[in-house]
Amino acid sequence: MIVLLAAAIVSCQKDPSTSDLHKDYLVYTDYDGGTNFSSFGTYYIPDSILLIGGADKTEYWKNTQALEIVGKVAANLDGRGFVRTDDKETADLGVQISYVRRVSYFVGYDSPYWWWYYPYYWTPGYWGDWLGWHYPYRVYYGYTAGSLLVEMLNLEADSESGKKLPVVWDSFIGGLLSSNAEINQQRTVEAIDQAFAQSPYLKK
Amino acid sequence: MKTIQIPFLRTMLLAAALVAAVRPGKAQVFPDSYINIDWQFNVPLSNDFADKSSGWGMNFEGGYFITDNITVGAFISYHTNLASVGRETLRLSPTSAMTTNQKHSVFQLPFGATARYNWLKHSVMQPYVGLKLGAAYAEMSSYYYIVKHYEDSWGFYMSPEIGVSIFPRPDYRLGFHVALYYSYASNSSDLLVYSLNNLNNFGIRLGVSF
Repeated sequence: MIVLLAAAIVSCQKDPSTSDLHKDYLVYTDYDGGTNFSSFGTYYIPDSILLIGGADKTEYWKNTQALEIVGKVAANLDGRGFVRTDDKETADLGVQISYVRRVSYFVGYDSPYWWWYYPYYWTPGYWGDWLGWHYPYRVYYGYTAGSLLVEMLNLEADSESGKKLPVVWDSFIGGLLSSNAEINQQRTVEAIDQAFAQSPYLKK
Repeated sequence: MKTIQIPFLRTMLLAAALVAAVRPGKAQVFPDSYINIDWQFNVPLSNDFADKSSGWGMNFEGGYFITDNITVGAFISYHTNLASVGRETLRLSPTSAMTTNQKHSVFQLPFGATARYNWLKHSVMQPYVGLKLGAAYAEMSSYYYIVKHYEDSWGFYMSPEIGVSIFPRPDYRLGFHVALYYSYASNSSDLLVYSLNNLNNFGIRLGVSF
């Protein structure tokens, strides 16, 4: 009987107010510990952001706000000694940015198959002769509307025999949505700086 | 044909039990016993994870007088302590990091046996010293972004207590209860970059006694 009473009392647990948590953003970063980032020199980054969940087709965000976000990522990489190139074929690193507009999705670290099922994501073929993505480390994201993903790809990796393209660094930024578009943009730019601040190993 | 609804019957039975409990000259429904229902204010002493004092808890307890001075019985209580944590960067593994603000929570639910030594059983003020022993369930939680991340644990629980039951009319056996307690639980758990090793608390209970 006391066990039943205990089970009933567990429901009396007081949950804290979480309303003020939404006034800030979350930045999560991870990388492949086996990658030596100083061995890379150049990177290629598209001038657009892929939108996830906005339409039933591949859609890109290309306006001035998108360019400011792309520019912020590029400025941080430049500041770490990497050189931006317009030649995707010769770049050592690829950087792709995605913004989750509407869908919610969870990816477990041992089952990162989201990229196989979601039809309107970046395609490995965009970067060369690749047949899929490969994460050399554990990945676990909870995607929700208002999230920004920045991923760094090792374009120097072996692409022979159907090898998958390794994602050597990723950043998940959540909580970017508020009712004020200007604040959203400001949060996004600040969060990108934070993603690099907590990734000191990213340097030439 | 007349019908009577079950909730009405239940209410009548409850009312009858309460009337019996406070009948002059009779101690309560169960003779030579006591029941306490208390609100409690808990002060965490060694818990940096959720260290804000709070009144989010209660204690339920009942016992039987095996002599005029000694009671034995059972108890169950629960409490939640909270804390707000500003934005900080957590190194979750050698390769991963997370920057966020958080709300922390520690929920405690001890239950088990209790014993008291009582004085002045038939007077207005009836002081006692007591000891509770049992098991403690605890849940250590962090709320961040849209996530509640938690770990639960079990431990041994021990709590000495001093208190007084106040019966304005001792023969009615319906009064108030005040107690001060210290508690120790051996629960340990790890969450994100935080560790919880044992739970030490101090607190006060205010309630009714019958």
